[in-house]
Amino acid sequence: MAVFNSRDRVIECKLVYYGPGRSGKTTNLEYIFKAGKKYTNSEMVSINTKGDRTLFFDFLPIGLGKIRGCDIKVQLYTVPGQAKYSSTRKLVLKNVDGVVFVADSLQIRRKENFLSLKDLQQNLAEQNMSIFKIPLVIQYNKRDLGEQGIPIMPVEVLERDLNSKLKVPSFEASALKGKGVGDTLKKCLVLTLHHLQKELKWSQ
Amino acid sequence: MSDKEHIKSLIKEAEIYRKQSLLEPSKEKYEEALRLIQNHESYSKGKKLIDTIKSKIRTVEENLVEIDQATDTPELSQEVENLISQLFSFSKNKDVAAMEGAIALAKFGQYDNALAAFRRLIKEGNMPLLAAKNILMCHMTLSSPDAAIAQFRQWVSRDEFSMKNLGYIRTFLENALLKQGIKAGLPQVAEASPEEGKPEEKEEDIIDIASVTIQFTNGPRKGEIVEFDVTFQLGNKISTIIPAHQKDLADAFKPGLRLSEIQCFSSLAVFNGRGTVSGLKRITSGPRRGDYSLDITIDSV
Ligand SMILES: Nc1nc2c(ncn2[C@@H]2O[C@H](COP(=O)(O)OP(=O)(O)OP(=O)(O)O)[C@@H](O)[C@H]2O)c(=O)[nH]1
Ligand SMILES: [Mg+2]
Repeated sequence: MAVFNSRDRVIECKLVYYGPGRSGKTTNLEYIFKAGKKYTNSEMVSINTKGDRTLFFDFLPIGLGKIRGCDIKVQLYTVPGQAKYSSTRKLVLKNVDGVVFVADSLQIRRKENFLSLKDLQQNLAEQNMSIFKIPLVIQYNKRDLGEQGIPIMPVEVLERDLNSKLKVPSFEASALKGKGVGDTLKKCLVLTLHHLQKELKWSQ
Repeated sequence: MSDKEHIKSLIKEAEIYRKQSLLEPSKEKYEEALRLIQNHESYSKGKKLIDTIKSKIRTVEENLVEIDQATDTPELSQEVENLISQLFSFSKNKDVAAMEGAIALAKFGQYDNALAAFRRLIKEGNMPLLAAKNILMCHMTLSSPDAAIAQFRQWVSRDEFSMKNLGYIRTFLENALLKQGIKAGLPQVAEASPEEGKPEEKEEDIIDIASVTIQFTNGPRKGEIVEFDVTFQLGNKISTIIPAHQKDLADAFKPGLRLSEIQCFSSLAVFNGRGTVSGLKRITSGPRRGDYSLDITIDSV
């Protein structure tokens, strides 16, 4: 849940990058951190386990400056994708305002994408939120691997698998090179702020 | 694709999966390549290639074991721990937030620091009974009931808690131990008569509830089940927040409404209860303005 301090006119909101293990959530945040260094002086915090897998979460706070007279602060998080860290995912997802679902385009990860999306739906439901109502965008990551001859799924297949019911904005990306990272984040921010504006009515 | 090309592409795939730490699929691809080579007369003599692939498979297997055995409770710097307790405490009330922060540390497995935080809360007189129970739960989760018992003995030997509260903590610990099948000879706590068995912090009479599911048993929503996280609990009174956009749901909880199907989830157990809606109000200020705060009093479990 966003925190709105009406006296100082500051809004803090929380976006969470969700998705199966190794899909590139942390890589997204790393790119945002590198690319945005000019705009932020805060550090990115990552708590990892072996093989650079996220153990608890990554955390990166960014400031968007003033929008309609309000100072907007955004906290970006990633969850650990590995199935066994289920309770940590729930904790990190608590009070979320918007979600980026990072799907893995690799053919061999088809089932994992699916399971992770279901896990997201369930964990949102546990906090009385609906996956159909929360601001959500989907990213199809690792598109570059197709060029190297590695089997990846066509976007149509991913869309059918993951987005046929949700019908949310989706983006192709190669997070490692930064392609598509900015567009994904921007869309999620726009959706989230729009949603919050309706809820908090801050611009009135 | 010729066999040679096929083998080459399998190895390439395996390499890429390995770089991405997708170790299981990587191993599978290497093994597939290996089988192809071994079945192929003209390659099967290429001992060098076979050895190379075998050694790659070994490396991947070693990595798999390493990852399997990796610690889930890393050493964190003080800064990061502070950040965790700050990021995962959601309450506006400073005392409650401090408690939430300490609980978050425990949830992330940072038991030592969680313990320190709970001890601090006791010292400050901030919900000391709840803090004490959490300390015991930390020890129990670390699967060292002995540590929990030792902690209790220490409390008995000092005068941090009143006799009444000690008696209450004792019962709590005794039950928690029993649930794990442990019958410990806990030191008796003075001559607490039955009426005095209740703790001074009376509100903490009931187990800590993390979330509840409620089934409507009548009215238009009959049969529907909803789940709430408990944002705050004082004894048998739990509070939860219903977001502004779920006004319909909030409206269904008229104060006085009897709830006869409540399932309570705690860290210790799941139990069924009954209760009454004791309050519903629109939050008019602060960060949750517009949301609804719902209070439920649980009267029997
Ligand atoms: N080729 C390619 N590799 C990528 C891309 N994005 C991420 N990777 C690689 O995929 C692997 C996993 O990336 P992470 O960002 O750590 O994945 P994650 O989703 O945070 O994984 P968990 O923390 O385990 O949930 C790393 O080796 C990345 O370099 C991409 O767009 N293209
Ligand atoms: Mg990660």
